[in-house]
Amino acid sequence: MLFAPSCTTDFVDKNTNPNAINDVTPNLLLPGIMRTAINEMVNQSWGIGNIVIQHTAKIQFVSEDRYTWGDRSGLWNNMYSNLRNVELLLEMSERNNASNYKAVALIFRAWMYSLITDAYGDVPYSEAIKGVTGVFQPKYDTQESIYEGILADLSTANTLLGPGETVVGDLIYGGDINKWKKLANSLRLRYLLRISGKKDVKAAMQAIVDSPSNFPVFTSSADNATLRYLTSAPNQFPLHTTRQGSFDEFRLSKTLGDKMLELNDPRIATMAQPTDASVASGNPVYVGVPNGLNEVSALEYNGGPNNVSRVGHLYYQGAITERGLKVATGYIMGYPELLFILAEARQKGLITTAPTVQDYYEAGVRAAFEFFDVAMPADYLNRDGVKFQESEALTLIGTQKWISLFFTGLEAWFDWRRTGIPELVAGRDNVNNGKIPVRFAYPQSEQTLNPQSWQEAVARQGEDTYNTPVWWDK
Amino acid sequence: MSKNVRTILLVMLAGGVGWFHPTVYALNSMHLTNFPNNSGKLVPASQAVADRTIRGQVTDETATPLPGVSVLVKGTTTGTITDADGRFTLNVPDEGTIVFSYVGFVTQEITLGTSNVINLSMVPDVKSLSEVVVTALGIQQETKKLGYAVQEVKGADLDKARETNFVNSLAGKVAGVQVMNSPSGIGGSARVTIRGDKSLDINKNQPLFVIDGVPITNELVGSNGRSYQELDYGNGASLINPDDVESITVLKGANASALYGSRAANGVIVITTKSGKNSKGIGVSVNAGVTLENPLVLPKFQRVYGQGNSGEFAFVDGKGGGVRDGVDESWGPAMDGRLIAQYDSPTSNGFRGGDISLVDDGLLGSPADMAARGTINPTPFLPGNDLKKFYNTGVTTNTNVSITGANEKGDFRLSYTILDQKGIIPNTDIQRNTFALNAGYNLTPKLSVRTTANYVNTTSDNRPNLSYGTESIIYLLHCWMGQQVNLENMKDYWIPGMENRQQFNYNYNYHDNPYFNLYENTNDQNAHRLFGNIALKYDFTSWLSLQLRAGTDQNNDLRKRKRAFSTMRFPFGSYREERVRNSETNYDFLISVNKDFSDNFSFGINLGGNRQISKMNNLEVTAPQLLIPGIYSFNNTRVPLVSSIYDGNKIINSLYGSVQMGFRNFIFLDLTARNDWSSALTLPAAVSTLGDTDNSYFYPSASLSVMLSDMVQMPSWVSFGKIRSSLAQVGNDTDPYRFTSGYGRSDPWGDFPIYSSLASLVNYNLKPEISTSFEIGTDWRFFGGRLNADLTFYSINTRNQILPSVPISITSGYSTRVVNAGKVHNWGYELMFTGIPVDKKDFQWEIGINWSANRSKVVEFDGDVQDYQMAGAHGVSIRARVGERMGDMYSIGFQRVDDPNSPYHGQRIVSNVGRYLPTTNLIKLGNYNPDWLAGIRNSFTYKNLTLSALLDVRVGGKVFSETWVVGLEAGQLEETLEGRATGYDLTQPGNGVVAEGVVLQPDGSYKPNEFKLTAREYHQTRTGNRNIPEGAIFDATYTKFRELRIGYAIPSSWLSKLNVRGLSVSLVGRNLAVWSKVPHIDPETSAMSGGTIIPGIESVGMPTTRSWGINLSFSL
Repeated sequence: MLFAPSCTTDFVDKNTNPNAINDVTPNLLLPGIMRTAINEMVNQSWGIGNIVIQHTAKIQFVSEDRYTWGDRSGLWNNMYSNLRNVELLLEMSERNNASNYKAVALIFRAWMYSLITDAYGDVPYSEAIKGVTGVFQPKYDTQESIYEGILADLSTANTLLGPGETVVGDLIYGGDINKWKKLANSLRLRYLLRISGKKDVKAAMQAIVDSPSNFPVFTSSADNATLRYLTSAPNQFPLHTTRQGSFDEFRLSKTLGDKMLELNDPRIATMAQPTDASVASGNPVYVGVPNGLNEVSALEYNGGPNNVSRVGHLYYQGAITERGLKVATGYIMGYPELLFILAEARQKGLITTAPTVQDYYEAGVRAAFEFFDVAMPADYLNRDGVKFQESEALTLIGTQKWISLFFTGLEAWFDWRRTGIPELVAGRDNVNNGKIPVRFAYPQSEQTLNPQSWQEAVARQGEDTYNTPVWWDK
Repeated sequence: MSKNVRTILLVMLAGGVGWFHPTVYALNSMHLTNFPNNSGKLVPASQAVADRTIRGQVTDETATPLPGVSVLVKGTTTGTITDADGRFTLNVPDEGTIVFSYVGFVTQEITLGTSNVINLSMVPDVKSLSEVVVTALGIQQETKKLGYAVQEVKGADLDKARETNFVNSLAGKVAGVQVMNSPSGIGGSARVTIRGDKSLDINKNQPLFVIDGVPITNELVGSNGRSYQELDYGNGASLINPDDVESITVLKGANASALYGSRAANGVIVITTKSGKNSKGIGVSVNAGVTLENPLVLPKFQRVYGQGNSGEFAFVDGKGGGVRDGVDESWGPAMDGRLIAQYDSPTSNGFRGGDISLVDDGLLGSPADMAARGTINPTPFLPGNDLKKFYNTGVTTNTNVSITGANEKGDFRLSYTILDQKGIIPNTDIQRNTFALNAGYNLTPKLSVRTTANYVNTTSDNRPNLSYGTESIIYLLHCWMGQQVNLENMKDYWIPGMENRQQFNYNYNYHDNPYFNLYENTNDQNAHRLFGNIALKYDFTSWLSLQLRAGTDQNNDLRKRKRAFSTMRFPFGSYREERVRNSETNYDFLISVNKDFSDNFSFGINLGGNRQISKMNNLEVTAPQLLIPGIYSFNNTRVPLVSSIYDGNKIINSLYGSVQMGFRNFIFLDLTARNDWSSALTLPAAVSTLGDTDNSYFYPSASLSVMLSDMVQMPSWVSFGKIRSSLAQVGNDTDPYRFTSGYGRSDPWGDFPIYSSLASLVNYNLKPEISTSFEIGTDWRFFGGRLNADLTFYSINTRNQILPSVPISITSGYSTRVVNAGKVHNWGYELMFTGIPVDKKDFQWEIGINWSANRSKVVEFDGDVQDYQMAGAHGVSIRARVGERMGDMYSIGFQRVDDPNSPYHGQRIVSNVGRYLPTTNLIKLGNYNPDWLAGIRNSFTYKNLTLSALLDVRVGGKVFSETWVVGLEAGQLEETLEGRATGYDLTQPGNGVVAEGVVLQPDGSYKPNEFKLTAREYHQTRTGNRNIPEGAIFDATYTKFRELRIGYAIPSSWLSKLNVRGLSVSLVGRNLAVWSKVPHIDPETSAMSGGTIIPGIESVGMPTTRSWGINLSFSL
């Protein structure tokens, strides 16, 4: 009827959204969770991680390199928003008793929270992602308690994973449950070591090492938790679609470049390109740029952009080549990192059983060459600066780990903040009184959107600047 | 008051008023005591000597006879009134003057000559005393009965103004109306607000457009900025054809428009189209014009230094392989003719420097490519990037032909308009064909039918890309292109042998060749729009009628975007089609009762109902990469197609009524009430138990008009005096599907489909928005309309606003939620003033002034929301904060000395390396709204020649300029010469700049900065390397020479043999000049982002245009 004012049923139908998908299955959520989180880490790596850890340096728009960091909300927004999908995946898999999906979701939750807390310190955790129940201003938990949660989630995941449903939509391991188990335990080792300055983690680490059947960890590069990108848009390595000029604003850092040249390390050819000028003259050389120069000096360094090395081709146009697909990956955790963790733990007595520190260290270096798809020179492990020496063990391990974590997100920065290895010096024209940042400041939006919780966290943790160390770093 | 004027007034009143309406003006000071009766004769008050008899016929300007015209011997009361055929006979003295007057027409005086026949054609008068305007629901009302402010613009003022978007021609003409263009060049959208912003949803502040009683959609659809492709395809109202518009009535408040429903809360623009009603027989009218356009304001570049850095540049491959040749800034060598290798310099192998992909190896600038090209022979380094040469003269031709006809049974008007516009940007255009029919027929004496139908076909081969990004031509030309780049040599834009595959360019790092961009990467459009209505009216009795009406507005728009191979953002090209289909259909009925119960009481009732059905169906499909260059088809996709669809439906049912009561013709009271039921406020079945949203809402209004000049005795020079007041509510619903949660689809990963949950939280307890307006105004006319003033004050409270996306901490898992809160208070004044300082027989001077000031303030939100970002771009956000004004802009600012005791209090703080320091928190930059607006029009008429000029004044308010930020950063603007007087050697005087400010000392005191920066560093720190938008804030005050019109009506005596009537020629200029303190841009600008026009932020938009046109119109 034309003028029956409130034809209620008609209206109910009319306002039922025909475009909406009201329910999905876990396999439809999982790949999105993975892609979103890992892409963000590639972008973090490019924008800040590589720079602060002095793998790369900027020659134009040098603010980040001089530690004018501004509002670093990207990681925060991306992770928390993606955690909404993780929580839904958890609920869904619990409802359906899908324990493998649940375990994968727990591993992602643990990893994502570790990224947030390692970057920002105390952050919302126990009350987070509860907007549906009306919690719009979750309190910030201490990093200590968040780490308890992270480790617990990983343990639970290890227990849950097993025979059961097939995980579909798994971009990392293609549904290989055993590899997920290995990742859960390898990540646990990473996080145990990270808090080892604050907590006694010996027993927990030893228990993992002691029982490979209960707590399997990575045993080869085939276990690497890395995302292999595709050759076609929009699933290419995120940097692949950047404009040439934007890509070329970032160059090889002098810190990394000099170290690689000193070690005569062939991996430099993967990480960087020889300078244009040297290629033109037929004698290719690699030149890094010092971090933290001002706009003028950075652009003019060594006679200008033609005389300093670009970042490796495989991380850009070459990312869709066969080798690029192997090297330019999205990183969660890799076998070399695990071996360096075990080497350090063994050196520090956190684990006490064989193999030796040297075995772990050398295996780590070998695996790291594999990671870059570069053949290790036969004499590499005996070169000065590489050759294992008990007295220099931690420095050697830390240095090789730092090299191996090139372009892997923020992990190299987190690790460096804990160990201080290698020794890095803030760039000449930095605007932070010579201090290298050790944290992200909370996003500005939190000051208006969650003011009370933010204030409490700042009162507890210290001034909200990028110079305030987080709990495990204090 | 002169006797003359008094007589004219008297005669006008006596003649026109007496015959046509029952209004009686009590002008007691005058000696007219015998009021005219309706017999058609004036009762003479005194007898003059009758010496001879004259006769004749009076017609209007279209030769239609005018009955009831007063014909009076000047200085006497001897006179008569014309009969039904416009004829009269009158006994007159031998000599003297005859005065002809008629309401709505200019009074004319004819001196008696020898002839006894006077045939006269009268000219309509726009300033007549008792206009009739079209108000809500298409009801015609005398202005004196209205209890609220309306303002009318005649179609004649529009169709000669020649704006492609007719909405723009309202600027400066109506008090309280602000028009803001999108920065999109031709045929773009316009943002109109009346009485300021009331809604916290920045897109919900535009008025409703109603054509011939039926609302049309003014949606701005599908300007999706994804992949840097921001575009403006024009909003609904921009398609209205001025040639078909009879009049526009602006109903300013909710008061005026309660009967139109929710969307009228921001006022209504009522458009009445032309009909054939007043024509006799068949008539043909032609209106044709041509307009030339050029940019009004262009950035002023420094013309001294070219591309490069630190004074160095030499091209090798345009991507960093040469000397600074990857840099796209103009901090390079002086353009003094020195020899430098450039992109267009010849090479040893006969190519151009920029031909760096001559070998088909899939690489750009490979060693093989470079060998094939050869070495570059340097050429003189001279100024290029000449914008004046880049921009074309835009040409718009517009031709309208209309045929009208009428007889006693019916009338029609059929009109066809063709508009063809070539933009000032090469290869941008728009063509528009408009067909309009307006026809009515009296089927029986009681039953009549009227229909209007309009079909508009808009096509464009290319519409320009907008906003800051590589796809926009303005981004390149106004911000980045090296000052030495010779544009002429860019025109041959393929590398030889690589046609369709690799563009030729001056820079391969960041940009596209501008001509490649414009000729290959096109955005075309083919939009079909059909709108109109059919109305049936039955008069049961003389006082009771029923009208049934159905109206619809259907829009079907196909847009194609092509991107060629080698485009910076699309190396493999891309192809995208968008199909935008939206419609709105209204069915309504209206029962009208109009009865005068006695001489003292008049009474009218309208009862009606409406069903409004809105639909939207948008489909977008993209081939993200193509396989074969140059073929734009989905069959040619390299990767899986990406698509999205949106299907939207909404229904609102309404019942409403109004009562008009008049007492003794000087007090008028209107009451209205309406109830709406909206599907958008109905909970879907799945969530119906989760909340108590109610889909029904009721809103009433009352308005009162008191004709003081009729009620009490006034001095004779007061012709009209009225006070009006009204109080009204308007309810409002929201967009459909507010209660949807669920999942959205995103690009798949190979074979895996991907979904993710939506980040917005829904609210199942929504209340309709209610805005309550109060207004009071007064309207006075003196000396028979030679001096008129109209003043209005209004106050509007809008509460329970439905804010669809209030940000919440993402740590809750959600980024936004729907909040039903907020109270915004608007208040303001509007003043209209018109005067006729000179009113001679052959010469008239009229002045019209519109003035308005509006303030909107956020009174409260509910709960924990204190701060709401309404929109933002370039680091500037428009935020609503409790207790602050709407339209406040915030950003990071300069750190300043805040110690009031410091001698440097308020000065900017500079770091120890000479750069400005940013604040950590957002600071308020100011408000984008003006303090006040005014439009001033002067018209001069000398015989048949008319000259009219409109000035538009805006005072106060701020504007942010991204052109300024980037133009300084890139060394383009003339200001960047500061600090490089002789180049870049800082030891030379005039080179380098010490930023004005103070430096913090270790002891906490400050001292003036002494650190010298290079010119580049200095100009970049002026806006904190893009981190301190405060450095690009300007006072947006301006005065614009908005319109100049010179018209000449060829005297009919010249035309008598040609069988042509009403031939007139006019010269029209628009936006002829702007005076402001904002450098490089037109301060009347805005940004466009995702379909929202953001005021107050300039984002390297198309330059606004100055236009000159000539227009010719005549009738057959």
